[in-house]
Amino acid sequence: MSKPELWVIAERRLDHVEPTTQQLITKAKSLAGDQFKVVTILLEATTDHLENELTAYGPDEIRIVRDDRFPTATDAEHADALKQLVDAYQPNSILFGATITGRSIAPRLQAKLQTGLTADCLDLRFDDDTLVATKPSYGDNIMCEIICPDHRPQMASVRPNTFVATPATGDATITTATVTFHPVDRLKVTTARPVVNTATTVGDANRVVALGRGAASATTIDTATKLAEKLGGRIGVSRPLTDQDRFTHDDQIGQSGNTIHPELIINFGISGAVQYLVGMQDSQTIVAINSDSHAPIFDVADYGYVGDAQAFIAALLAQFN
Amino acid sequence: MKIVVCIKQVPETNDVTIDPVTHNLDRRGLAGVMNPFDKNAVEQALQLKDADSDAEVVLLSMGPDDYAESLREGMAMGADAGVLLSDRAFAGADTLATGYVIAQAIKQIGDVDLVLFGRQAVDADTGQVGPIVAEFLHQPQITYAASLRLSGTNEVTAERLLEDTKQTLVATLPAVVSVRSELNTPRYPAPRNIQLSFAKPLTVWHHDDLDLDDSRLGQAGSPTIVTKVYAPEPVKRELTPLTGTPTEAASQLITALKTRQLI
Ligand SMILES: Cc1cc2nc3c(=O)[nH]c(=O)nc-3n(C[C@H](O)[C@H](O)[C@H](O)COP(=O)(O)OP(=O)(O)OC[C@H]3O[C@@H](n4cnc5c(N)ncnc54)[C@H](O)[C@@H]3O)c2cc1C
Ligand SMILES: Cc1cc2nc3c(=O)[nH]c(=O)nc-3n(C[C@H](O)[C@H](O)[C@H](O)COP(=O)(O)OP(=O)(O)OC[C@H]3O[C@@H](n4cnc5c(N)ncnc54)[C@H](O)[C@@H]3O)c2cc1C
Repeated sequence: MSKPELWVIAERRLDHVEPTTQQLITKAKSLAGDQFKVVTILLEATTDHLENELTAYGPDEIRIVRDDRFPTATDAEHADALKQLVDAYQPNSILFGATITGRSIAPRLQAKLQTGLTADCLDLRFDDDTLVATKPSYGDNIMCEIICPDHRPQMASVRPNTFVATPATGDATITTATVTFHPVDRLKVTTARPVVNTATTVGDANRVVALGRGAASATTIDTATKLAEKLGGRIGVSRPLTDQDRFTHDDQIGQSGNTIHPELIINFGISGAVQYLVGMQDSQTIVAINSDSHAPIFDVADYGYVGDAQAFIAALLAQFN
Repeated sequence: MKIVVCIKQVPETNDVTIDPVTHNLDRRGLAGVMNPFDKNAVEQALQLKDADSDAEVVLLSMGPDDYAESLREGMAMGADAGVLLSDRAFAGADTLATGYVIAQAIKQIGDVDLVLFGRQAVDADTGQVGPIVAEFLHQPQITYAASLRLSGTNEVTAERLLEDTKQTLVATLPAVVSVRSELNTPRYPAPRNIQLSFAKPLTVWHHDDLDLDDSRLGQAGSPTIVTKVYAPEPVKRELTPLTGTPTEAASQLITALKTRQLI
């Protein structure tokens, strides 16, 4: 008997694959063991070759459905195509990235399949053939484990950058499948423009460049602003900088400001007072630059540099250009 | 035009704790308030009504009787009526079972042109109910709308922000839209509207008032089960030092961020 399938739904991001897809393939492979076959489902245009960005991560199979309408298809059209594939192949589990796109398509598919979907997961494991999904709630203050014991496929969406994608050996078999594309005329995407930065506040930015009293000169702020633009993020500040004309309370991180958990925060010239740390220590990747090697900010950082903030920002920006 | 806004009542604060003895969520003393994101949906509906005085805004909520407070709050903001779906049989529902009852209620309300949802409930944080209802109603969905306007007699135009793309979408009504909080600033109920709201109808529908398949309700109709709730362990971090000149250190950082697919 062939092994049950564990699916990763590939997502497009402009002309490339959304990185979360690659992260999920790595995670799915480690979950699968001998028990499951890891299959990446890729819906793409006839001239696309997004599979070339997936093979290196070693899924057992990349199953491609081609139709020139997929790159601009709406959520319901995607969900309809995926439903047909589920009916044909009966996977055990389906993983989506918890991106805006993933979080829009997955529940629509869930409703078609009348099954369980756990949202925005931070960890996954199998207990026999039941997926145990760990998800945060109450603004990440509480964790819970959720299972879907009696329905298959079981579904989860996984927060971007929760897992690290690692290239792997193994020859992915590339196959094609067909579905009937059912266009929904009642909804049309009339324009789609790439934007570098969709964040409007430090609270909803995925990348934050944070400045403190050791990075407060006009030159440093200018350089940091350019860096934030390159990263597609926003500037945030510690409380003392809200005294400057350029910043307001809305930009402040910490106990009496915003509590944030971006994918990446780079802290320049911030000591790391508890009132600051409570506002940002749940960020996914934390970098700190401070001239004092004993600054408490280093206790919560993944990467640290002891040195001058301005010199480091300038060097980093130069290498981005 | 008839607009339904779906609202959930949530605990006033996210600072919930775990009872060390029972391992249950300790919600003692937490007052319920309207899910903050749903206020943006109510505000959006009221703005559409401001532009089209024939529009009618109906608030819909599934939950225990005290959810009536949020419905009253929304009517004080200016909504015309409230419908509360309250029955023991609905309790313990996951997103699928919640979406089913809400979709059946929307059919029951009848002739609904537009259904609005908040971005997500701030307690469970799934954002799944909107798309589930859209599927059950066989209607087009626009999620995470950053703007929304009527663009024809039977049509809405919305902008939607994806991670790195801004889309414009045009939907023929009836349609389902979930909104981002950046879209507007919810109004405060004016004293006069608070007064007026007490005269507005708040209808409660129980199980028998709706056309329902019992196997799809509440806990029994919910594929998912929460098996464990716990307080997260603080993430343990190991500091990787960046060394050398600023240029060398910056280059080490770029390599690390590329490995983590952050750039
Ligand atoms: C009730 C209460 C609430 C508060 N709420 C908040 C809050 O919400 N947010 C907040 O931020 N603070 C808050 N604070 C203030 C907080 O205690 C700290 O005072 C504040 O966070 C310090 O900001 P900082 O790190 O920028 O400054 P400092 O503590 O002065 O640190 C500056 C750092 O920069 C380093 N430095 C100096 N020069 C350089 C250089 N050239 N290059 C690199 N590094 C350099 C120094 O070594 C030092 O570590 C609150 C305080 C109280 C009492
Ligand atoms: C800790 C915890 C974690 C959970 N995780 C999951 C999970 O991963 N998957 C799952 O299927 N279920 C989950 N649930 C169950 C879920 O909370 C309920 O099904 C809930 O009724 C609806 O989901 P939501 O709160 O996520 O709402 P969301 O889908 O986030 O809400 C989106 C919008 O739908 C509308 N809406 C939501 N609920 C109602 C309502 N009762 N009445 C009217 N409108 C409403 C509002 O407009 C709201 O803004 C979880 C519950 C808890 C307590």
